[in-house]
Formats: sequence, C-alpha cells, structure tokens
Amino acid sequence: MTVSPLPTAGARLVRLDRLRIRPSTAVSLIVVLWVLLATIAPDLLTNRSPTAIDLGGTMQAPSWNHPFGTDQAGRDLFTRVIYGARQSMGIGLGATALAMVIAVLLGFTAGLAGGFLDAVITRVVEVTFAFPALLLALLVISVRGPSQATELIAVGIGSAPGYARMVRGQVLNVRQAAYIEAAAALGHNRWTVIRQHLFPNAMRPLVAVMTLGIGQSVVWASSLSFLGLGVPPPSSEWGALLDAGREYITTSWWLEILPGLVIIVVALAATSLGRTLQHKLEGAAS
Amino acid sequence: MTRRPLRPRFVAFGSSTLLLSGLISGCSSSSGAAESGGSTPVQGGTITYAHVQEPSCIFGGWIQQAYISRQILDGLVTEDDNGAIKPWLATAWTVSPDGLSYTFTLKSGVKFTDGTPVDAAAIAWNFDLWENHSGNASAKVSMDPYYKSAKALDPTHVKITLNKPFPQFLRLITQGYYGIQSPTAFKSRTRQENCEKPIGSGAFKVKQWKRGEEVVLVKNPNYTSWPATAKHHGPAIVNEVDWKFVADGVSRYASLTTGQANVVYQVPTSNWTDAQQKYQPIRFITPGKPVSFNLNTKQGVFTDKLVRQAFAYGADRKAAVKAGFHGVIPYEGNPALDQATPDYNAQAAQAYPFDQAKANALLDRAGWRKGAAGIRTKNGKRLTVRLVYGSGYVLTKEGETVLQILQEQWKQTGFEVKLIPATQAEGFSGKYSSPSTYDATPEYWCNSSPAVLWIVWRPTTKAAPNYNNESFYNNDQLAKTIQQANTEQDTAKAGQLYQKAQQVVQDNAVSIGLYPQTSLYAVAKNLKNVWLEKSQGEPVFSDAYFTK
Amino acid sequence: MVIAAASLTFLAQLLMPGDRATALMNVQTGQQKRWTAAELAPVNKEFGFDRPLPVQYLHYLGGLFRGDLGTSYTQHRPVTQVIGGQLAPTLILTLGALVTAWVLAVAITVLTVKRTRAVSALGSTWEALTASLPNYWVGVVLLVVFAVKLPLFPVIGGSNAWGTVLPLATLAIPLAGFLGQVTRDELEKVLDQPFVTTARTRGMSDTAVRLRHALRHAVLPAITLSGWALGALVSGAIITENIFARPGIGQVLVTAVNTRDVPTVSGIVLVVAVAYVVANLLVDVAYALVDPRLRGRS
Repeated sequence: MTVSPLPTAGARLVRLDRLRIRPSTAVSLIVVLWVLLATIAPDLLTNRSPTAIDLGGTMQAPSWNHPFGTDQAGRDLFTRVIYGARQSMGIGLGATALAMVIAVLLGFTAGLAGGFLDAVITRVVEVTFAFPALLLALLVISVRGPSQATELIAVGIGSAPGYARMVRGQVLNVRQAAYIEAAAALGHNRWTVIRQHLFPNAMRPLVAVMTLGIGQSVVWASSLSFLGLGVPPPSSEWGALLDAGREYITTSWWLEILPGLVIIVVALAATSLGRTLQHKLEGAAS
Repeated sequence: MTRRPLRPRFVAFGSSTLLLSGLISGCSSSSGAAESGGSTPVQGGTITYAHVQEPSCIFGGWIQQAYISRQILDGLVTEDDNGAIKPWLATAWTVSPDGLSYTFTLKSGVKFTDGTPVDAAAIAWNFDLWENHSGNASAKVSMDPYYKSAKALDPTHVKITLNKPFPQFLRLITQGYYGIQSPTAFKSRTRQENCEKPIGSGAFKVKQWKRGEEVVLVKNPNYTSWPATAKHHGPAIVNEVDWKFVADGVSRYASLTTGQANVVYQVPTSNWTDAQQKYQPIRFITPGKPVSFNLNTKQGVFTDKLVRQAFAYGADRKAAVKAGFHGVIPYEGNPALDQATPDYNAQAAQAYPFDQAKANALLDRAGWRKGAAGIRTKNGKRLTVRLVYGSGYVLTKEGETVLQILQEQWKQTGFEVKLIPATQAEGFSGKYSSPSTYDATPEYWCNSSPAVLWIVWRPTTKAAPNYNNESFYNNDQLAKTIQQANTEQDTAKAGQLYQKAQQVVQDNAVSIGLYPQTSLYAVAKNLKNVWLEKSQGEPVFSDAYFTK
Repeated sequence: MVIAAASLTFLAQLLMPGDRATALMNVQTGQQKRWTAAELAPVNKEFGFDRPLPVQYLHYLGGLFRGDLGTSYTQHRPVTQVIGGQLAPTLILTLGALVTAWVLAVAITVLTVKRTRAVSALGSTWEALTASLPNYWVGVVLLVVFAVKLPLFPVIGGSNAWGTVLPLATLAIPLAGFLGQVTRDELEKVLDQPFVTTARTRGMSDTAVRLRHALRHAVLPAITLSGWALGALVSGAIITENIFARPGIGQVLVTAVNTRDVPTVSGIVLVVAVAYVVANLLVDVAYALVDPRLRGRS
C-alpha cells in the first residue's frame, strides 16, 4: 500500500560482493532498468508517437502490430504506456524526493533538537501520518488545480510524514551509537559530526525505503489520475490510462487490464528491490 | 395576435405515443414480450432507476435537479412530441392580442400532497418566487427580462403579465425548472425540508433520501393532474421508484444487465449497440445550445476572425465526434442551437467542413507562419490555444477523447492546443470565467426554446453584464435580431429571425459546433411506457408498468 | 490537535480560487460563470460571507464547542446530520476491511513462514503481489469479475451486507499483503529466537509454538501500523465508494470538496481526526494486550 516504515537498525557500508543476486532480484532489476530506459529515451523502445491517432483503427485487440491493442482514438497503447513511464516515474521520483526533503528537515530537527520542538513536530507528523493522504491530495488539487506539478506535490506531501517518522527514529538511533559519541567526545564541531557521521549513517537504511516508496508513489499518483484529478490529457500517465480504460473494461478489456498490470509489475519490482536492499543492509548491520 | 382558446384535450393512449415510436428503435412489443415472458400488465412494483449525478437539493436550477423534480412537481403546461404546447395544471389559456398577458385556467380540484389546493394564488406565488426571491436562477434567466408580474384573478384563473410580447414564454415554462410547489409547505417548513422533500402535486412524492445512494419516491395515490401527454389517466401504476445515483458508467450499465435496475440513464456509448439489442433504448437529443467551443473574442489569438475560422476548418469535428462517441451521438455543426431545437438553422450547420488547406490559407493570411515543430508563430508569439473544459461534469470521458483527437488534428494546421481540465470545484468557483483565463471552452445550455440565444448572446453592458456570453462577444446586429425574434408574434417571421441569428453566430465563428447534449436511456423489456418529457428529456415513470 | 485540524481545513478552503457565494450560485444552477454583485448579495447575507473572516472563523469555532459543525452550504442541513448519516457505512467498511486484512495476513503468514521453500515463496510472493495492487484496480476487476460477468454480488449493493463484500475485499486484499509482509519479516526473526527453540524442546507442537509464542511478538510492528492503516483505509474508501456507488464519508467528501462546502469538509476532517485519536488509543490497548513484556508489567 505504501512504504514499509520498519524501524531499521543503523548500517555500515555495504559491499557489492555481499549482494548475492537472486533470480527474483534479477528480474526486478531488469524491470526497473527497462522502465528507466522508457523514462529517459522512450523513442528507443517504440517508433510510434503516443498521440498519433488512427480513426480507422480504433479499439483493436492486442496483436503483433499492436502488442497492447489500440484505444478509442486508435492510438497504440503500448507506445502510450512507454511514454507514460516518463510522467509516472517523474511523479514517483519527484514526489519521493520532495517527501524525503520534508522528512529530513522535520526528522532531523525533531531528532536533534529534542524537547518541546521534538514533541510538537512529532505530534504534527503523527496526525498527518494518519490523515488520509488522498484527502490531503484532494485539498491540494482543489487549491492548485490538476497538473503534473500538483500531483507531484500532493503525493510528496502525502507521503512525507511516514518518512519523517523514520528519519527521526534513525536520528535518535544513530545518535546513541558509540562512534557518534566518540566523535563528539573527540571534540569535533557539532555540524561536522552531523554532516560526516550522523547524516550518512541515519540515511543509509532509508535508501531501501525510498526504493520502496518510488513504486508506491507511482501507484498513488495513478490513484489521483484515476479519480480524474491527475495529469491533463493527452498525457499517457499510467493512472490516466487506467482512468480512460475503466469505461471499456467490459468491451475492450486490454485498455484497463494491461496498463494496470504494468503498474503492478513495476511496483512489485521496486518493492522487491527495496526489500532486498533492506535485508542486505540489515544483514550487514547485524 | 388573435385569441387562442385552447381546450383541454385528454387523449388516452393516443397521438402522444408518437413520442416513443420516434425515439425507440427495435422494441416491437412482440419480441420484447416474448423474452420477458408475457405482456400482461401488472399493477404495483418498484422501478429501480440508475441516474448519474446526485444533486444537493431535489429542486433547483440545475438540469440534474430538473430530472428528479419532474417526478414530484407538476408544471403549468407541457409540450408534445410535435412541439405543440399542451395542458397540464392549466387546462386552457388565452393570450391577449398585444401578446402581453397570458391568462391560464387551472384544472380544478387538484391538491398538493400536503392537502392544500393548487390554486391561482399558488401559481402566482411560484412565479414570484422564481423571479424575485432566488427561487430558481434558471427559471429566472429564461423569462428575464420579459416577465413582469403574476396575479390570481380568482381561484382557477391566473394572469401573467409581460413587459414585451414573448411568444416563447409558453414553451419555456414547460421546462422542469418551472415545477409548482406548495406555498404553504414552502413557507412553513425549514429550508432543509424544502430541499429534501419539496411538496408538489406530482405523481410521486419523496419518501426518503438516502444520501449517497438513492431517493425513494412513492406514488401519490391522490394524483389527478397528469399532463395531456400522459399515456394513462390516474395515479402512477407502480408503487415506488428507487432513484439511485451510480456515477460509474460500467456499474450503471451493469446494474441493468444484472437485473438490479430496470432503467439506466447515460448508457456508456461503447455499450449502446448491446443495449439496443437487449433493451428498449431511448436516445434523446436535448434542445438548446449544443456542446460547442466558445471562442474568446476579447483577448488572445481568437480576437482575429480569420484565426477563428481556421480553427473551425482545421479539424475533422465530425469524425472526432463519431470516434469519441462510437457513432451514437450525432455531430452538430451549428454552434448556436442544436438539431432538436425549434427554428434550427440546418443550413448554417453545414459551414466549416473539415478543410486543412483552407485553414492553412486563412492562417497564412492572418500572418501566422509555420515555425518550429509545425507550430505557427506571429511576431514571436506561438499560436497557442488554452482550451479549458469542465472535466467530468461538462464533458464526459467520451467528450475528452473527442478533444484529444481534435487537438492532434489542430496541431497539423499549426495550432498548439493546450487541454486544461477544470475540476468541478474550479468550474463552480468561477476560476475560468474571465477573458484572461482561456481561449476556447466547450459549453452547452439545455433549453427548450430558441430564445436561449438571448441568454447566451445578450451583449454585456456596464449595467447588466452577461456572464453567460462566454465568447465575450458583443454584436449589436445579432442582439437586435434575437430581440426581434423573441418579440415577433408571427411564428414564421420569428423563425426566420432566429435562423438569421444562428447564421450570424456561425459566420463570425465566435463559437464552433461539436455535438448536442444527448441522453441515452435503456429500459428493461418487461417495463413498458417509460417516456421522456419533451423539453429536457426527463424520464417519466407515472405511466410505466411491468409486464409478466 | 482536533481544533488545529479544523482550523487548517477552514483556511485551506478559503485559499481556493474564487469566492464561496459564486460557487454556491453555480452549484445551484449547474453553471461555471460569474454573477453580478446584486445576484450574490442574498447568498452572502444568508451564509454570513459578508462578515469579516475572523468573525466567521470565531463563529465557527464557537459552534464547534457546542457540538455544532455548522450548516452545509449545499444541503441546507446541519453538518452533523450530513456526516452522521454516512458515518456508519464507512466505519463498517474500513473496520471490516482492517479485521479481514488482519485475519488474512495472520493466516497466510502462520501457514507459510519457514515451511518448505516452495510454500514460503508462495506466501511471500502472494504478499508482495497483493501489496502492490492499486485499490482502484482491484475494485474495478472485482466488480467486473464477481458482479458483472459472474453475477454473485450486487453491482449497486448500497450499504447492505451482501453489497459490502466486494468493497471490503477491495480494501482488505492489498492491506493484507502489506501487513503480511511486515508480520512475515518479524515472524521469521522470532522463529530463530532462543525462546522458540526452548519451547520446541519442551515438546510443544509447531502450530502451538507459532500461535502462542512467535505470533505474539511478530504482530507487534503490524499493530503499530494499524492506526496508520485506518487513515489509508479512509483514502481507499473514497475510491471504493466511488467505484461501487456505495454511500459513505468518501463520497460526501469528494462532493463537498467539489462544491466548496466548507462546513462539511471541515466537519469530515474533524471526524477523521477524532477517529484517529480513538484508533491510536485502541492500538495502544491492543499493543499492551499482545506484548508479553508490557503485560508482565501491568
């Protein structure tokens, strides 16, 4: 559903040779790389245009020529999915990055300041964490109007509290670690300690969680598009494809089922990678 | 004008059935009855009807409210399939020779469901409510500024006085917005009660409103005021109508295919062929202004008539509408009135066929030159069109498909069209209502009379701005023509003037036609006699009966 | 905290483009245009929009303390009534989904953790797969498969029991996958703990060990997430209610946001905030009941 906010122990550097690659991880990696390729250079994967209409060839079932079939305007669905990757992943990456920035600011402030400030931030985070993210997104969208940027902000703000909780937890965790106390005892400047020791060590386990989060942000963004509040047409953002396809599920199933499967496979791959990372990092720590 | 005494004509199962024969295809009773097991009418039962949007109150100026208030409130007069005005609460009426006063004779003995009489005073009070007490903004705008006053002469005679002759007045008050409510109930009850359970004299009354789910309507056993267009005399044959709200098209149509609903509204166009084979389909083209692109003539690229015309030529609107709606909804080339509206100008609808060469020539002439990626520019400015549309509430998903097809075609002539969906919240808040916020916007206006031209195209003056004029187009010649048409008592002459007005709108390309607002109903085969009100296409359930 | 939530929503709604009287007039007439000052005046007067904002705000807050959430702009009835009528279906849906998700998650993890490779893999794949399913997609697919193609469940079931099955499954399946993943991780760790081995050496059966000892520890992280899950379920309910045409808070909320019905939106936010506080209390109680360490202390 959304990120797994597991409390993760602090971790040392991970050496690549310790990442024993399992088949499922390999498949996940391929999927993610493929999506990244679609995001960066969609024209390498298809030579069609995502908006090229063909009113003579609408609603065609999947075939060799159109692996995902065509939609109600005769556009090639496979091409639209490929080009949609940029929007979907753009929102996924952007929203996760935004959420992380907010989370780091809040989490570090709370974790380091302690006392009253910590209590206030923690309470706010707790409340917004439980607050229905979709409601938050609805409010953001009704203030700003639907656009890709709005969607990014809405999803980012919606998922920030979850990360903030984790960042604070990590900060508190790492702060008590022996090497931090040692560094402080050695008389290092407070900022230096934070920058050189606390930050990298607190953030490392979060890399895995972020990987999980990207997949979930894609799903989130597509939920908003599904409610008709997402990226304006003729964008082929994946959620928008699902929104457009919903009406045809009983007559032209591929328009709804295939983009849905793509989202699921990508989310699954991102989650699987994230969890593999998480396990390795935990393993490395223990 | 000569007096037109109109006698009440109650025709049982007579000419009024023409309405259905024209609209229903493939529902010859033999096959339908065979499939549903028989054709014996049954008394009683519950009709489950799946509608789309849930209004905030049952009564009001939105067409969504007209649909349901038609079940509960009766009108003064109605319209038959041929467009003739027929008796309802009024059995007869006379028009003074100067066309300024209408005297209605009311059917006697009719009572509201709270027991109070539907008398002349009640009618006069309702007119006053619409015009002077924010009772219904859509009712008001239809008769403004012709309406002057209403007065009860005696319990069964009410006189409406106008400022100027306005022959369209009768046709306008056949619309659902003009449903008559009980003044006693309205004044003595809370606003909430009036909102949820308006008291009328109609065939049904509200039993319960389960918000978010359905309005349960029960029959009014003492119903006496059926319209002349009714298919039977007497109270409703069924006991109840469950008026459900099912926003999702797939669920809505599925509720019919699985037998959970008996009638559904707005069948998804992709299911229409299926519906035609299995059910009684009713396609209704709502009269009024069709969905057409209002072009901003005050600011931006469309201040130039050549560019507007190029825009009209530049895309194959007919093919786009056909693809987007799977051939179910017709194309409408006339931006001012659609084909179901009286005095429709079919000639004007033929203008601006798809012709990219012509569009290119016009744009060249206007000084827009093809630049990078095929987008035209002039003095360094790109030929960008901000096309704002109400997503989900003005245009459906199918309508959005049409826009995307058009966008791609406009690109070929050098227009960069940006589609900007407005959420309902944005639309209602008026965010996209000033000249600086859009270049083109698709909009419709359901209205049973060509007088809707005045609502849409009345020029804005300082004293009286016309915010319905979304093209911001002030044309005195056009205004004069419509005004003449509205007050012209010679029907033929008025018709010519209305047609001329449509031609002016089309010639200036201030709005570009797309498709008429169309209702698609499917009725289960074992439910007979569901018909639609002519003015706005509301379903009427008071004559409907199940067969077994 | 609750008041802060209400105040924030009040302000957020005021930030929205356009003014409220215009929105109201347009809602009532189904239009999207501007209105003249004369046309707007009665609306402004009726709802008190002509008063200064601080006065409106104080008036609103004052009402809150008296248990009065104001009157809906569009429905002309008290917000408490607007919400009250819709609260039960949403509560049934979300709580039912939470319980169902828990039952599914616990059953699947207990049955598949640390079994043969194939069984464990099956369990974790199922969890990963379901956890990645977007709610809306599950809803649409369930609807089409189990209500349209195989008419086992009603398409427009409203809020009755039979009509609740599919919406509930829509919400519960992805959540079960998520809770399952969390529980599985813990259960795997716990089953390696010395006290589990001890229990086994005392001759306890495998099932008993799993249920009586290991599970108790393994569900703790997932319990802490249940408070959060309720919030996520409310999000999911908005979508699910939309797909299944089911009455509930989600539908009301979307409509209220669309029509700028400020009192209703604020009211719902308040109710959600209160529900969150209650949910967290319950989570704490559940934690105390399950956690052996905390139980020993009390």
